[in-house]
Amino acid sequence: MLHAGFGATGCLAAVWAFVETLNAQPGNAARIRAAALVTALSMAGAWICGGYWYVHFYPAEKTLILQGPWPFAHNLFMETKEHLFFLTAILAFLLPVAAREKTYSNSAARKLVLSVAALVAITGLAVEGAGAVIEHGAKVALLRGGSKGGR
Amino acid sequence: MSPASGKLTAATSGFALSAAVTVLFNTALAWAKDAYPPVNGFMQSLTGHHWTTHGAADLVLFAGLGLILTYTRAAQRIDPNRLIGALIGAVAIAALGLAVWFAFV
Repeated sequence: MLHAGFGATGCLAAVWAFVETLNAQPGNAARIRAAALVTALSMAGAWICGGYWYVHFYPAEKTLILQGPWPFAHNLFMETKEHLFFLTAILAFLLPVAAREKTYSNSAARKLVLSVAALVAITGLAVEGAGAVIEHGAKVALLRGGSKGGR
Repeated sequence: MSPASGKLTAATSGFALSAAVTVLFNTALAWAKDAYPPVNGFMQSLTGHHWTTHGAADLVLFAGLGLILTYTRAAQRIDPNRLIGALIGAVAIAALGLAVWFAFV
């Protein structure tokens, strides 16, 4: 899935920004800004691709999940994920703005970039994990339907 | 981590405060949609899907409030440590607020 790929890339880029900022110096300032930009662009890609999937194709998957043995895959995980993602995206868009600061000489800016990058990675991974549970909810619904059909 | 020293630019502090407000607004809007179906219906009527409207509202609030706070320099008067703490706290409250709501309500 393209949106999961963009999301994973965004999380990895946020970790990249975090590690670069831990060792912030004039020599890696451009890399910090590049990592922050990749994070924002990846999350924008995840938003567009995931949103297209969610609006156009998810309703059928939702019906399947709710009829299966794991309705919580939608009721808890998808409901939380579809709104939690906005937190990740907003934080990802904040990261390039914060990364424009001189993180190597301004400890407040360094602390902000570290905090935002960590929050993007943590919430992004939570969204990725929720996506796996949702896919499994659809899978177990199909498996149960298939096993009933085989009897 | 020790308290940070140094100042943030008007744009950085403005958009950081805007992000803190936006994530809390995002969770409040999710609660409102779930608790009161007419809100969901109204948002659906605007763009064809409530989620699309929700995302657009978040984006407009983040960008609009960020620009206002940048030009007024209002957020720059806040101590950077407090601002960073407020952002982390807002994200934690917003995220837990979503999970707890959909788990128990």
